[in-house]
Amino acid sequence: MTLGPFWQEVVKIVLWGTFAVLFVSVNALFLVWMERRVSAKIQLRRGPIHVGPQGLLQTIADAVKLISKELVFPSQVDKLVYYVAPLLVFAPVLSAFIILPLGPGIILRDLNIGFLLIFSLTNISFIGIFIAGWSSNNKYALLGSMRAVAQNISYEIPLLLSTMGVVMIAGSMKMTEIVTAQSGLWFVLTQPLAFLIFFCASLAEANRAPFDIPEAESELVAGFHTEYSGMRFALFFLGEYTAIFISSAIAATLFLGGWHGPFLESLPAVAGPFWLILKTYALVFVVMWVRWTFPRLRSDQLMAFAWKILIPFALLNVLSTALVLSLCK
Amino acid sequence: MAAILEKDIKAWLLEVVKADELNKKDVKKTGIHFEAIVPTSKIRDVAKEFLNQGYFLESLTAVDFAECFEAVYHFNHWKELRRGCVKILVTKEENKAPSISSIYKSANWFEREIYDMFGITFIDHPNLKRILLPESSTIHPLLKSFKGEPAGSDVEQCLKLINEDKEGFEILYPQSVTHHQKDYYLNLGPQHPSTHGVLRILLHLAGERVLDGEPILGYSHRHHEKMMEIQSYLACWPNMGRLDYVGAMSYNFAYAILIEKAMGIAPASPRVEYIRVLTTELNRITSHLLWMGTFLLDLGAFTPFFYGFDDREKILDILEMATGERLTYDYFRFGGLDKDIPAEMIPAIKEFIPHFKKRLKDYDALITKNIIFKKRTRNLGYLTKENALAYGVTGPCLRATGVPMDLRRHEPYSIYPELDFEIVTATDGDAYSRYLVRMKEIEESLKIIQQVIEKMPEGATILGKLPKNVPKGEYYTAVEAARGSFGMYLVSDGTLNPYRLKLRTPSFSNLNSIIEILPGCLVSDVVAVLGSIDIVLPEIDR
Repeated sequence: MTLGPFWQEVVKIVLWGTFAVLFVSVNALFLVWMERRVSAKIQLRRGPIHVGPQGLLQTIADAVKLISKELVFPSQVDKLVYYVAPLLVFAPVLSAFIILPLGPGIILRDLNIGFLLIFSLTNISFIGIFIAGWSSNNKYALLGSMRAVAQNISYEIPLLLSTMGVVMIAGSMKMTEIVTAQSGLWFVLTQPLAFLIFFCASLAEANRAPFDIPEAESELVAGFHTEYSGMRFALFFLGEYTAIFISSAIAATLFLGGWHGPFLESLPAVAGPFWLILKTYALVFVVMWVRWTFPRLRSDQLMAFAWKILIPFALLNVLSTALVLSLCK
Repeated sequence: MAAILEKDIKAWLLEVVKADELNKKDVKKTGIHFEAIVPTSKIRDVAKEFLNQGYFLESLTAVDFAECFEAVYHFNHWKELRRGCVKILVTKEENKAPSISSIYKSANWFEREIYDMFGITFIDHPNLKRILLPESSTIHPLLKSFKGEPAGSDVEQCLKLINEDKEGFEILYPQSVTHHQKDYYLNLGPQHPSTHGVLRILLHLAGERVLDGEPILGYSHRHHEKMMEIQSYLACWPNMGRLDYVGAMSYNFAYAILIEKAMGIAPASPRVEYIRVLTTELNRITSHLLWMGTFLLDLGAFTPFFYGFDDREKILDILEMATGERLTYDYFRFGGLDKDIPAEMIPAIKEFIPHFKKRLKDYDALITKNIIFKKRTRNLGYLTKENALAYGVTGPCLRATGVPMDLRRHEPYSIYPELDFEIVTATDGDAYSRYLVRMKEIEESLKIIQQVIEKMPEGATILGKLPKNVPKGEYYTAVEAARGSFGMYLVSDGTLNPYRLKLRTPSFSNLNSIIEILPGCLVSDVVAVLGSIDIVLPEIDR
């Protein structure tokens, strides 16, 4: 008995969704472990080494602790919104897996608006952050969510502008076509400025240091998630690490040649995902390296950096790319 | 004692600071160059004249005598050592004195403290309320009549007290509980990651911009001053380690000098002085390293904290060899030391110095040249020279404004005159200059340590039997602690315990100046400014 095309699609989505959720959870656990070990190496410490081989099971133990913790509802919060916020932060980030091309042909939906969809979906998570701070009824949380909104609005613009050069060269927004266009030369070589801008802006989008002002723990205690505990807090955490992974994966796809790498022809189903994930983790490592090296920017400096430096340079990049392309034609 | 003329206060002041007058008081013994009792009504004029002559208010306190209160003002000059002690008598019936807080800004908190501890009301004080004790308390603990009430000994009583304090706070700071439309109040602390202890700052904010802020103290108040009044001189030693737990050695030093001067004894041998300077300078480095780490932590950089603590740990290991303690040192004794340093300590220091010099270069690369760090700290928390002196700011914060006042040179004590080191100053008076001054001071301290271990003589480190009491009189000693000038004012009545021992702690005055800095800052800047001032709460609250 064969399934109809509709049911085939349903099965595909369910399988892909299950894979995405599993991957995200395991990946986040691994990233947290990696962050701890990287920071420990940078800071002359040893990090988690006792639980499991190389301390790999430490984050699992922590996750079990967080799951088994009591969920505290502070008495002053706006209950419904407070409840929805962590889900709203986590769920949209997951959706990015819809268009992530892991290898040639390994993609759920190769949409022709491509990564635009991702950016519009991940922006929903900022609404989650905002309402998390708002509903907490805490001044620190409110300050944190105010900062998050301001930051998101500012950094969305350079983030999108920096990808325009890539789109112009590839002639498409489809993720697969962008990757195919890089089979000869990676876009990081033709668009180095755009890559830097994209990297900075995606750090800010993922609320990572030195742009982590919404949760700035030395100023705002814990920012927007001050009042969250247990698994709700863990969802924010999971969302943050997944966002880092996703933005690094998109950066790797757009600029670092995606699945391209040696042995692609002989073993496309293995080599494709392998190279993409390797590139992604390399970028994630840089993200962590930056976090443990720099102090945090102040909110007004952050805005100034976006509007006065990133956006003009991104525009310049779009302009020069267009010029070069039209001259070459 | 110089008499004060009706009108010509200026002439009087010039008269008393003349060289021959200066020597009338036994400076070597008391640490005070000239002393005068002035009529209560004249104190404002006298203070104004001191201000005109460029003096700053070093300390202001009161003493409860059987007949009356004595309010004691210590003035000092930043250019050269001219410590003047001016007293006014406040009768117990009237219990009022004129406030000089409009003349010297630092007097604001000093007067509040006197009001808190003695109940003396200062007329025309802009903000006279309790500063160290809880808002709801009714006691004045430094009165000799106060014998202590063991309140708060059980849980219920504690809860009741906490509730009363909350109500008391709401009465004293009504703005913090009312609802506002545009602006609002934020309690930064007492529990907050960046207040370096239990400090509360009531911030008045519009968005993220600070309109004004008021530090609220007293959360770690243990009343060392009262404690010392009821215990013997020897029993006061452990208190010295618990004031500024980060740089406790300087506090040991001050107490040792104070009592040695008062008793008229000299340390057992020069070796004692060398070891004292050695341990104090090592301790100063640990203090600055801890500051550097936590300051960068406030700015959001984690890594320097671990580097700083790594080095600090190595020094603590060295200090532990000598003292057996890692934090709250109780190492000095009258005329000597608890014990001599062990033989392995000097080689350990010699091994540490080259390693640490390499590390200092790392700090330079990681922090000093870091563009974000520069952006965050330059032009932030600007303090003018005049304001710094008006608030009685001392230590690196003062030197960052360009005033070269370091008590190790200003009021030379111990073997510092024989050692070659520089007073580090900067000119900008912002958070970045404070950082530069402290980092440079670490290098200067290293220089001192190198000289000391080269010259270290042999000798005894303990004196024989000493009298248990201190001769009757008044004594003032100040040393350069890691955070600024730490002064001790002792009034002895010749008995076995101090009659009054005022601790003039540097962070208390340094923190006071934050009122001037805060307006206009962002919330992120508040923690940066607070970090740059380098406060240690147990020392402020005492």
